[in-house]
Amino acid sequence: MKHKIIITSLLLLASLSSCVAVKEYEKVNINDPDMSLTSRKETKFETTFQVYREGASGANGGKSGGGCGCN
Amino acid sequence: MKKYVTYFLIFLPFILFAQNKEEDNNNTYKKRVLENVEVDILTSFYAQDGDNAAVTGGIGSENLKDIAANINISIPLNADDVFTFDATISDYTSASSSNLNPFYKEGGRNGNDDNDDDDRRPQNKTIWNAKTAASSGNNGTGATIGTPWSASSGASKTDIWASGTLGYSHSSDDRDNIYNAHLSFSAEFDYTSVGLGLGITKLFNQKNTEFGLKGNVYFDTWNPQYPTEIKTYIKTGGNLNRDFFNGIDILDQNGIPTDKTSNNTWKPIHNSFIDNKGRNTYSLSLSFSQILSKKLQISIFSDIVMQKGWLANPMQRVYFADRPNYYVGRASDIPNYTNYKNQGVFQLADDYERLPDNRLKIPFGARLHYYINEFIVFKTYYRYYSDDWNIKSHTLNFELPIKISEKYTLYPNYRFYNQTAAKYFADYEQHNSTSSFYTSDFDLSKYNANQFGIGIKYTDIFTKKKVWKFGFKNWSLNYNYYKRNTGLYAHIISFGTKFVLDK
Repeated sequence: MKHKIIITSLLLLASLSSCVAVKEYEKVNINDPDMSLTSRKETKFETTFQVYREGASGANGGKSGGGCGCN
Repeated sequence: MKKYVTYFLIFLPFILFAQNKEEDNNNTYKKRVLENVEVDILTSFYAQDGDNAAVTGGIGSENLKDIAANINISIPLNADDVFTFDATISDYTSASSSNLNPFYKEGGRNGNDDNDDDDRRPQNKTIWNAKTAASSGNNGTGATIGTPWSASSGASKTDIWASGTLGYSHSSDDRDNIYNAHLSFSAEFDYTSVGLGLGITKLFNQKNTEFGLKGNVYFDTWNPQYPTEIKTYIKTGGNLNRDFFNGIDILDQNGIPTDKTSNNTWKPIHNSFIDNKGRNTYSLSLSFSQILSKKLQISIFSDIVMQKGWLANPMQRVYFADRPNYYVGRASDIPNYTNYKNQGVFQLADDYERLPDNRLKIPFGARLHYYINEFIVFKTYYRYYSDDWNIKSHTLNFELPIKISEKYTLYPNYRFYNQTAAKYFADYEQHNSTSSFYTSDFDLSKYNANQFGIGIKYTDIFTKKKVWKFGFKNWSLNYNYYKRNTGLYAHIISFGTKFVLDK
């Protein structure tokens, strides 16, 4: 069941690329620095302590287990 | 199988339609990837406390403070290429780490064993308020005591972690393809790491869609540090009348000194050090981003991480339920061993943490950002994590940047995290000695955590203020409070600034 959900979701996501083509001059809001699809640089050390203190890691721009004696 | 083929054929026209690229009318103009040298400086202060220290087997003080500083410099080499240098230094002080060797002489210098770090520590333990400690009044003549409930003055109490990363990225002329590479190094007293990474990002659909693929490897090595009693036992071949144990009583659960030459005394279940000190990590990261409208965009990403080598932490003690307990220190404190009233006795470890030599982690994450209006952006993040140690977790994060003026933005945020326990985790004195793998590290236990934070940022897009040739671009101040339902709590304050080199 999980595999079906994942595969269907991936196909759906790939097809999302066809839905919209916002022109460059229309991306004023999208290009706002606070809209960036990454965590803020200022949260780097928060992400670091979470990697050390939590069992989960990765998928957030931080370490995924290597480079430190952390989880 | 037929179903998946059907789905693919249904969605295929939409995917193909998306690849229809309009001609760019401005294909003769190439904007620089980075206009000027940018310097980001970030500092933070972190403080935590709790009652489940891993170094002392799942109980004891988790008091820890850390000061860290990071500098990140991005240098445009030309219109297409950027070089980055990133360095971090972190200085931490930890009650838990100090209790690798928790023993000291009441009122005097610690250590009567070999010439190791113990003998070079300063005299007198002054870190904690001793409510019950009886001082002999003479340096070096008091009884040997210890406790998991406060910091010792051990050399492992404090340490510095340093890391450096060099990065390079190249963008194609049309800016639709970005290639990057990095080399990293980090070191602390018990761990070193060398890392390499390569990545490629592909943009299409008029840069509305982005695919990313990244690979990283880390070749890490432990410089194992062991609990002092286990280290001494192995070094002396099990002779409990030599080295640290010379002249020291080992007490049983009733506080009665044991015959250290008999079988009715303490000994760890293993008597060897770690052979293979390597710890390697291999990861593959996939990402997909899509602009959904003029105000909404989404990204989805996943890492596949494989770790191999010594994945346990040899500093972390384990105590077994099916083995008798033995102590060094004041017999009168034994009944209170598991609470703060114990300030004078320490239980000798049955072993140090042992975990499998491989681990597969698969997190999936997603971000959805919505531009509500010129004042507010709504940012969400979700991650589902799963690994083959049985840990499954959910992370949910909300942030609401609010522009309160032309130059100031507030960042209230909330984060929820929960996880199931690793299948090798058990609390203090809950493990069975017949198990192959065991840990009492509460970072691998079942818990949930809430984090509340607020930040403020000041931005001057014209960089009117200067420091030498650098224009001051912004500063930010962030505070977060983190609380687990197991009792651990933490505060973190970060301050960051950004400068841009004037041309």
